[in-house]
Amino acid sequence: MNDTPIRIRVKYSKSGNLRFLGHIDTQNLFERALRRTELPIRHTQGFNKRIRINLASALPLGFISEAEILDIWLDQPIDTEIIGKKLNEALPDDIKVLEVQMVDNALPSLQASLVSSDYLISIPADPGLETFKNRFQALLTGEKIEIIKRKKTIDLKPMILDYSFQSESPDGDQSFIRLSSSPNANARPDDLLQLLEIDPADCLVKRTKLNFS
Amino acid sequence: MKKSSQTYTITTLQKKFTAKAILITIMNSLIEKILYHVEKPGRYVGGEHNQIEKDWGSTPLRWCLIFPDIYDIGQTNLGLAMLYQILNAEPDILAERSFAPWIDMEAQLREHDLPLFSLESKKALKEFDILGFTLPYESIYTNVLNILELSGIEAYVSHRTENDPLILGGGQACFNAEPMADFFDAFVIGEGEEVSLEISHLYKAWKANNGSRQELLFQLAKFPGVYVPSLYEVDYLQDGTIEAIRPLRADIPAKITKRIVPVLPPHPEKFLVPNVEIVHDRMSIEIMRGCTRGCRFCHAGMVNRPVRQRSVDQLIPTIKNALKSTGYEEVGLLSLSSSDHTQILELTQQVHENFHDKKLAFGLPSLRIESFSVDLMNELQELKPGGGFTLAPEAATERMRAVINKPLDEEDFYFTVKKIFEHGWRSLKLYYMIGLPTETMEDVEAILEAGIKVKRIGKSILGNSAKVHLGIGTLIPKPHTPFQWLPVESPETIQAKIDYLKAGTRKAGIKMSYNIPDSSLLETWLSRGDRRLGPVIYRAWKNGAKFDAWGERENLPIWREAFESTGVDPDFYAYRERGLDEILPWDHIDIGVKKNFLKQDLQWSLRGRTRPDCRNTCYACGILDAFGETRPDNNISYWGCP
Repeated sequence: MNDTPIRIRVKYSKSGNLRFLGHIDTQNLFERALRRTELPIRHTQGFNKRIRINLASALPLGFISEAEILDIWLDQPIDTEIIGKKLNEALPDDIKVLEVQMVDNALPSLQASLVSSDYLISIPADPGLETFKNRFQALLTGEKIEIIKRKKTIDLKPMILDYSFQSESPDGDQSFIRLSSSPNANARPDDLLQLLEIDPADCLVKRTKLNFS
Repeated sequence: MKKSSQTYTITTLQKKFTAKAILITIMNSLIEKILYHVEKPGRYVGGEHNQIEKDWGSTPLRWCLIFPDIYDIGQTNLGLAMLYQILNAEPDILAERSFAPWIDMEAQLREHDLPLFSLESKKALKEFDILGFTLPYESIYTNVLNILELSGIEAYVSHRTENDPLILGGGQACFNAEPMADFFDAFVIGEGEEVSLEISHLYKAWKANNGSRQELLFQLAKFPGVYVPSLYEVDYLQDGTIEAIRPLRADIPAKITKRIVPVLPPHPEKFLVPNVEIVHDRMSIEIMRGCTRGCRFCHAGMVNRPVRQRSVDQLIPTIKNALKSTGYEEVGLLSLSSSDHTQILELTQQVHENFHDKKLAFGLPSLRIESFSVDLMNELQELKPGGGFTLAPEAATERMRAVINKPLDEEDFYFTVKKIFEHGWRSLKLYYMIGLPTETMEDVEAILEAGIKVKRIGKSILGNSAKVHLGIGTLIPKPHTPFQWLPVESPETIQAKIDYLKAGTRKAGIKMSYNIPDSSLLETWLSRGDRRLGPVIYRAWKNGAKFDAWGERENLPIWREAFESTGVDPDFYAYRERGLDEILPWDHIDIGVKKNFLKQDLQWSLRGRTRPDCRNTCYACGILDAFGETRPDNNISYWGCP
């Protein structure tokens, strides 16, 4: 066994039924899928040996994504194309591996280097794009955009890094939004939607990119 | 999460769209919408690795297999996995799954007028041909009625229409499912692997002939192992006991003999791998079926005869393939009495040899003390070191153990205990029963003494880190066992015994868990009841009893009210000693073991006479008379019977 593990970065999409899968369950799903691949997966040391796996960011329940990232570690180098192929064979259809690359072991953890996330929100016919825009802009005129999370007041305003609107795209009216995703400033689009008086269940929210430092 | 101001329901949308296809699309998008508002939506969406989804339109016979508890409890049920594989292996049959929705999901379904649906194709249950309910225990009954209502299907068989699906029940509770007789079109008695396919063929032929529902029930009633309760009538005597159980037609059998598979079929390997965290989330492999020990309290040991085992040569490739296809990290090797498998040592050795480098955990529960060797312990230590160990002596005096037919040499027991601690297991759980026939306080005191002695042994080997845990169960004399005639002990006496043990274990630093006397009453009534309980179950459900296995005690007032308002006396089923000549509610269900054998066994029990392992001596329980002809000639030892 090679003592220095091989660090592999995987980009994948998540859609369909599996968008109702939470963070921990997604992690467990990858563990079992990795075991099915029979790749030389690195296990953690100690009494309860688990597969070493690291997801960049929790995707809120119900959202789809074309840009999720995770790291795994192997005991020996394997061709990245083979890893991708084996993983896709072992994963359910609603999760697809898009890219596999070998990365430097010394890089900081994914969570530590994650800065922001990009989302596309499909705007439902009720209230429609104009009202959505108006509510959104009204929200931004305030000095602060405060929400209460776990008994703590959080200001979302500085966490909205960018936004735009697209009318009549092939997928209907959409809003692009970039939100801060760093460990101490993590904003979620569903929090924003609630403030806009929109039920996240009425929108389709897609994460399109994770931005790292 | 804030609710949308606009609420859609199927009925309001129906006015706008009439085409069924559009309706289904709307139903699916509604389902997706409500999933945002429930806890753990992954329970309802399917899509697991190894799920089988067949084309709905081109598959003529559609089953939905239903486990009437939540997904978290039901998904790993081995019976469900077996039927799912067997039915879906047929090109013209599809089998999907459904479970009881948790309370939040039920509220969403009701609010949006949505029917309960299957996990695979999200089709309403009413659209299937056959709904096959698994009934492993009785406290699940009210959930069945709830699922039927959520599917728009009448609870009572007599109210159903020609177009409703066939409502079938199967599983361990069906050896006396009389309390549910009003609600099931038919029950499968015994093992379902073969009969489920045979019923499928019968159903297809009936459907092709455009037969009536009543005709289908007649045909099913004539079929071996199928019980159609509506075609039997029960007469009662003045004192409330049964005068006769009569078939309504001459061409259907007076007794329904259970089905068995003479040879265990290939074990399922492509298990579904749940996406959400569930209870007992591991791979289960059935190494043996049945038990030859004949413990007199044990329902499973009586109804699952004869013993059939899978060989090591079959099991190792099965485990290999199943691990490869699932990626599971934990395997349970299941049977009623694992250490009685004739190749158990070889099996554990081979498991170790084949899988020790895979970082897996193996569990081998249900070990019998006297057939459990030090060699086997060495192997087990390799397979799953650390953690706890469990033994079930069930009674603590020699006399009591003779009554229940679970003899055990005291010296063997304490030797095993010593070895367990010496092998480094720090915690030992011991199961005992109270409320056994002829039990005195002396027998109960002996349980505490045994606990204290075991604790002392543990302490002498491991010091203060040795933990002892007593699990105290209360006997419910079950149908088809030698104790079936006996009453349940009164709650006051049981409480006094529990109080004694509680005080003693606390003083000795022993952990103890037990059933609150009230909490097993529902199981008592429903397992020992007759079809007069139908209205009681219906009323209890109407008044809000569901998930009784979760909050049996909380629902007890609802049940008491249901008994009272329907004029049924619950004590009749719990505290009455039944006459040996009485016709019992389940006498027309033939498990292969003769009633006379059970009677004799009861008499032996009360005289303290044991029947040692019937692999060595045949006591003519009746199983060979019933099924001996089907026994494989080429491998006579395959069945446990001599």
